[in-house]
Amino acid sequence: MNARDFVQNILKYILPRLGEMFFAVVFAAAIGLGPQMINVDGDLGRHITLGNYILDAGTIPTQDVFSFSKLGDPLTPHEWLSDVLFSLAHKIANLDGIVWLTALVLSLAFWLIYKQSLQLSNLSVLALLGGIIGVGAGSLHWLTRPHIFTILFTALWSIELEKVRLGLKKGWVIFPVMMVVWANLHGAFIAGLVVWAMVFLGELFEKQKNWNQLRVLIWIGPSSILASLINPDGLGIWKTGLGFLGNQYLVSHTAEYLPPDFQNPSFWPFLGVIGISILILGLSKRRIKFAHLFLLASWTAMALYSARNIPLYIVVAIPILCELGAKLIKEGRGLWVVDWFLNLQERITITERDIKGGLVAAATVLLSIYLLVSGLRLDFQNRGNVFSGEIFPVKAVDWLEDNPIQGNGFNYFPWGGYLLYRLWPEQLVFIDGQTDFYGEDLTREYEQVITMQTGWQKIFSKYDINWVIIPEDSPLAAYLADSDDWETSYRDQTTRIFILNGEN
Amino acid sequence: MPWIKEEKLYPILVLILIFIMAVRMPMDTDMWWHLRAGEETLISGQVYRIDTFSSSRAGQSWINHSWLSQVVMALLLRLGGLPALSIWVAACAVFSMGLVYLQMEGHPLLRSAVLILTAMVTSVVWSPRPQILSLVLLGLMSWLLFNFRKKGGLKYLAGIPILFILWGNLHGGYVLGLIYLGAFMAGEVLEKILFWETAGGLSWKEVGLIAGTLVLGFVLVLINPFGWEMWKIPFNTIGVETLQNLINEWSSPDFHQAYQQPFLWMLLGLLAALSLTGKPLRGYRLVPVVIFAWAALVARRNFGPFAIVCGPALADQLDFVLKNWAQKARRVVPAIESFLQSAEANKMAFNNTARNLLNVTLIVLLSVTAVVKTIQVNEPELVSQAEEEMFPVGAVEWFKDQDQSYKIFNDYNWGGYLIYHLPDLPVFVDGRTDLYGDEILNDYLDLVFCKENWKATLIEYEIELILIPSDSCLKELALTEGWKTHYIDGQAVVLGISTEK
Repeated sequence: MNARDFVQNILKYILPRLGEMFFAVVFAAAIGLGPQMINVDGDLGRHITLGNYILDAGTIPTQDVFSFSKLGDPLTPHEWLSDVLFSLAHKIANLDGIVWLTALVLSLAFWLIYKQSLQLSNLSVLALLGGIIGVGAGSLHWLTRPHIFTILFTALWSIELEKVRLGLKKGWVIFPVMMVVWANLHGAFIAGLVVWAMVFLGELFEKQKNWNQLRVLIWIGPSSILASLINPDGLGIWKTGLGFLGNQYLVSHTAEYLPPDFQNPSFWPFLGVIGISILILGLSKRRIKFAHLFLLASWTAMALYSARNIPLYIVVAIPILCELGAKLIKEGRGLWVVDWFLNLQERITITERDIKGGLVAAATVLLSIYLLVSGLRLDFQNRGNVFSGEIFPVKAVDWLEDNPIQGNGFNYFPWGGYLLYRLWPEQLVFIDGQTDFYGEDLTREYEQVITMQTGWQKIFSKYDINWVIIPEDSPLAAYLADSDDWETSYRDQTTRIFILNGEN
Repeated sequence: MPWIKEEKLYPILVLILIFIMAVRMPMDTDMWWHLRAGEETLISGQVYRIDTFSSSRAGQSWINHSWLSQVVMALLLRLGGLPALSIWVAACAVFSMGLVYLQMEGHPLLRSAVLILTAMVTSVVWSPRPQILSLVLLGLMSWLLFNFRKKGGLKYLAGIPILFILWGNLHGGYVLGLIYLGAFMAGEVLEKILFWETAGGLSWKEVGLIAGTLVLGFVLVLINPFGWEMWKIPFNTIGVETLQNLINEWSSPDFHQAYQQPFLWMLLGLLAALSLTGKPLRGYRLVPVVIFAWAALVARRNFGPFAIVCGPALADQLDFVLKNWAQKARRVVPAIESFLQSAEANKMAFNNTARNLLNVTLIVLLSVTAVVKTIQVNEPELVSQAEEEMFPVGAVEWFKDQDQSYKIFNDYNWGGYLIYHLPDLPVFVDGRTDLYGDEILNDYLDLVFCKENWKATLIEYEIELILIPSDSCLKELALTEGWKTHYIDGQAVVLGISTEK
């Protein structure tokens, strides 16, 4: 081997392929958005605390240990495995560890979207474009929550199912195996079964049926449903999930289940994908497979129904749209834009043919570990991965640690997880983000108090509330500040703590 | 030969059904201030343009873009009371849906089914307001363009400038017409430039004529009492950032609400139809559908325009899919072919007199139902009951016995009702968002959401009386600050600093 061959061999591994570059950029972007991912959602504190509990006690709790309002009530720990992973990451590197884990999971998921788009379209530039649009639309739910594992598993699951549909895969055992892990990571494992049902139904509708594929597909559903029962609460995981989804009040009062608000620019990329899907289908000269139609239609509906389904819609829709888009592009040969695009694609394909890659992705992930462990702030705003004092009652809890208050405290719902993270087990909460556990009755009582609806004072009496921690600018704070019965114990720009007169 | 052929029977039945759907109790929060403004215009003989209804914007000029609709509404009220408004809304709904039907292709049964879905989507915005006329005008414009494209002839295109003159005086939604015209033209141009279809399209000359009509329409909307200021209306309205916090119809759709779900069915139906045809959608249909789908997802008040544009596209594509399937089914299962042949034979054998009798009976039955519903929704007792559920009827009666020179703070949704029923009491806010702008509306929101500055805001506007829902957090706060309850019922509370003036 001469020097030139040696350099070329080295370059094969150093130079990144398009997909690898995409992975590295998505990973870096997620790391850069760390503080945002931590602070947009209030449940991270609860996940870390539950994970800590499981690791310390060596047992998965099936009764509530976190609230005084429902202490000891049966609990379905449907995210226990994610909580353990979050807890481990936290033990290793605090919130930096959690951001790193989240970034890795998300970048893997979006890389899989790119891979699948490439597989179906055979145009890497189009797949990259699809991936970028997908990131734009799906990134609004980049949060440090167990939901990220559902995004990853939906991608893995869809890829494997597509292989079965295309006859490239003959076995079905991988699906129940994946489902066991998924069902213990996150309650939205049902998404996998929806994807399966759409593909199965689609294949049933096709005129040309491949019975061997259908036989494999038939096994996947029931075996995966059975596999999902392998969890600490067995059938309870289904009851909790479906019970929550069937409760209109809870669903419409849980932020991430609300429909997308297209007045908010962060939803516009998703709106763009819907527009692109109408355009592509409108221009298409061929009918699409029923499986793809059912997937596209069902996930469009689900994403429009609840914003939290948008990333899952992206996972399913982008590869299908890339496939259709590729057909349109190829049919448009002769048009100068299309010819230019295909020429560019050909040059990239030739260049990539000799590239092995891998080094850039590995280096990006490893370098981030080194930099984070060194204490460097890698987020875009250089704030560091910490809970923001403008969003959570950070200073108020510092004060509470120095001045503990006895008795039951009413807390602002989005702060429940943070209070657990900082104060549990010394302090239990009234409510936190685990809405499926607290249920409709308690959530209604909470809402009655926080919006001061008629009779709200009775809820305080019912739960023997003698202190309150709520946002400084809330109507309840304005009321309690003027009330003779309550006294302000602590106040900053975010938080106000009130104590019932004569207590503590 | 039957009197009414199949292709006419289905749309007649469906349009009567749509009338039944659309004839509703005329009870809208904004209807009242439109009526009062219309009355003011009729009484003074001059377009109402300087605000006298509110204390917060008193004396300020206001671009009353719907002045002609308001006059129509006020005249209808004078002539036939609330039932006349109720029938007017239903008639507008039927007319606009009829125009949509005329643009559809395919079997009358399929067109009728799609029209019902179109009506369900549009029904969200059927209310006694000038907005309903924008739906009629959009329907007319799309019908004229459809015919221009299909049959040719300048007579169809010539109607469009007249529409814009009317639109510029009836409602600020004239911009929908400009967008549609632009999208229609863009679709034709794209189809020509790109690859998918050229047969049956417009010539470049005809595209140029549409472009000219677009420019002409843009200029002709200036023929109104406010001149060029009419161009500012879309920006004034959309520029109000608080709009979506205040008005449901300006928000993004909420598909948790069953009444908004027909839009989702229509969108999914379109995706499915497009997926299954393997036949590209014509540009003049595709581009408007994409643009109006975007608009409807941003603000649900655009459901109606979307449905008007999407209905014909959906019918065309479904017709193609169903015909294909029917052909395949006939080939694959010979029994279907023989069944259809025997069904056709039976139909022919069916006595014409019996068919006539059946058809007329159906039409009469539905017409009677329409009349009964019209009477029922305008039943005075029911109307009063609905009024009491929506508006502070008791508090208004209380106000009538009081000195009405107080400065009040009122609930946004009740502003129009107060303007109409208490003509001497200026309101703080009502549905004229373009008049109030973010400044007043943000202060209003601060008060109803009981923000920290609530006391300062009341002082700033020298508010003496507060009229708000009786379960409002502002009531709780005001009572702790020494405000007194002057009137309270299950609906509303009137709080005052002092009863003395």
